[in-house]
Amino acid sequence: MFFLTYLQRELRRRARQAVFIALGLALGVGLVVTVSAASAGVNKAQSKVLSTLYGVGTDVTVTGGNPGRPTGAQATPPPVVPGKSFSNILLSYAAVSASKAAQVAQVAHLSGVSAAAGVLSFSDVSMTFGSGSNPPVVNSLTIDGVGTGRPSLGPLSGATLISGHAFTTADSDAAVAVVDSGYAASHSLKAGSAVSIDNVKYTVIGIVRQPQQGGTPTDVYIPLARAAEAVAAAGWGAQANDVNTIYVSAASAADVSAVSREISALLPGTTVTTASSLASEVTGSLSTASKLINDLGRWLSVLVLIAAFALAALLTMAAVARRAREFGTLKAIGWRSRRIIAQVLGESLALGVAGAAAGVGLGFAGAAIIAAFAPALPATVTQNDGSGVAQVQQASAGSSLSGTTSHVVSVVLHPSVTIGVIVLAVVLAVAGGLLAGVLGSWRISQLRPADALARVA
Amino acid sequence: MYKLTGVTKLYHKGRRVVPAVRDLNLTIEDGGWLAVQGRTGSGKSTLLNLLGGLDRATEGSIKLDGTDLGTLREEPLTRLRAGSVGFVFQTFNLVATLSAAENVEAALIPLGVGHSARRERVAAALEQVGLADRAAHLPSELSGGQQQRVAIARALVKEPKVLLADEPTGNLDEDTRNDIIALLERLWSDRGLTLVLITHDTAVARRAQRTGVMNKGRLTVGQTPAPPPGRPR
Repeated sequence: MFFLTYLQRELRRRARQAVFIALGLALGVGLVVTVSAASAGVNKAQSKVLSTLYGVGTDVTVTGGNPGRPTGAQATPPPVVPGKSFSNILLSYAAVSASKAAQVAQVAHLSGVSAAAGVLSFSDVSMTFGSGSNPPVVNSLTIDGVGTGRPSLGPLSGATLISGHAFTTADSDAAVAVVDSGYAASHSLKAGSAVSIDNVKYTVIGIVRQPQQGGTPTDVYIPLARAAEAVAAAGWGAQANDVNTIYVSAASAADVSAVSREISALLPGTTVTTASSLASEVTGSLSTASKLINDLGRWLSVLVLIAAFALAALLTMAAVARRAREFGTLKAIGWRSRRIIAQVLGESLALGVAGAAAGVGLGFAGAAIIAAFAPALPATVTQNDGSGVAQVQQASAGSSLSGTTSHVVSVVLHPSVTIGVIVLAVVLAVAGGLLAGVLGSWRISQLRPADALARVA
Repeated sequence: MYKLTGVTKLYHKGRRVVPAVRDLNLTIEDGGWLAVQGRTGSGKSTLLNLLGGLDRATEGSIKLDGTDLGTLREEPLTRLRAGSVGFVFQTFNLVATLSAAENVEAALIPLGVGHSARRERVAAALEQVGLADRAAHLPSELSGGQQQRVAIARALVKEPKVLLADEPTGNLDEDTRNDIIALLERLWSDRGLTLVLITHDTAVARRAQRTGVMNKGRLTVGQTPAPPPGRPR
């Protein structure tokens, strides 16, 4: 009780200085909280960008290389006849492995892998030759052949069903399709309508909306077995029996790197992509914001925190020096140095706690300001052949798939203050206060009572 | 009982060595009252600091009831001061943020006295010095004489064996000075304290049993002449 009374009275006596110290600590802590919240928001935004490309829950994607050219009827380009149309099935990537073994099952059984799903991505590209000097008209339908029994992993994992129903295991060999909402709207499709892929009719059983903004989702999803048939019929040979993309979910974030290495060893010649490798491909305002926050923001908050600590220490040492005679008197009447140090530490701790509370408040306010006023930031991911999911925008007859594809996604920053950051902030502020107290009280504890009493008050 | 043998205290100021106390030999019996006079810088306050364990002698020994203060480490020395030695300073040295009662209570904190026992003893101490009605006042709300009374209460609340007073009336006017000295004399007499009092004032010194004069670090002690008739010793 005496301890608290003495503490409270002393802080009240030097209230202005106490407020100054607490505010300094609050500023440093608030900056740390705000920067951490913004950084978390940016990381979340980047994950969102990346998840639009390869779906929710995917930690690693495995894609084949250049698919080369089909054999059979598609191998020979048709004659150019004005007004005549033809269509080609074009693979997005080569098959993941040349062997006919169940690569997806092999990957699923790797250490650190919790699930794996295979997809066969291709396009149905139709071209109508123009008359005279008119260019040909190209229409492209992008298709993903997906497993019907694992909706939680793969291109449909993040989709929202808006009408009809999703695939069931009973649909594994059926001529049914789930259609993207954008494609359905532009072609007036609904559940029960028909969509044609390489002259084969598929019944639309469901319409989904993908969580993308500005990107180009796949138009149609059909069962994997049906996709294999379509690709085989188009003359792609053995590649029709395999998938050309494997979506992999790791058991934990810590397993991603090891899983990535294992898959590369198991499936040489494929491109194994993780979120961190894709993150380096993200450009645009989001990327700039990420650099600003993670580099400049962090350094700035560290510098401000150091300055706040130094200020707290100096002011505390000055205050303790001014109380030299007071402490000398207390020593004279029998107070041990430990008790005097505890008193000073208590005062500093109180200021640290006050600074922490104010700092967390400032941090929340900073995060709220960012959330309220930060504009939507565009992010662009540009990918080369066989790297990640590339969507065919346009293909001409006889040409192999090549070139780069860019996805532009616009995201809004949602800074989030986590419990961990709050705890860190409190620890930092309290540590700052205690450091100031230790530095201030140590000198006095070393002073002989006679010397302390001789100091002018 | 205090026994000082060959006590010397030297201060080093750069290359210079300043002897504040030189080869001092002194015995103060239990319950005795020694007043020490001398010019400024003669070593009076240094002597008091040595007696109270606030400083350590460079040479010689200072024994209090057989315990050599020079051999004690800081903690036992602090414990000894907490229980056995009371101090009264010229500038009162009250903690400005604590009330009169809390300043007195501060002397009992190191002794581990319980809260309710502390309150009782503080009240009794303030009553003894005539300040029971000023318990809640801060030092800034008290006169110089009242502050010195609080300081005396703080010194005596722990019932020490020894009271060391360094010019307790130095900052007070004449009437207040007389009141304070009378109070100290009464308490010394009632409690059988060993009292060592530093003063410039010969009138104050004359009230002691013995008077010593410090001159350039050396102490000469004589018996105080008997007071004029009608005046107490």
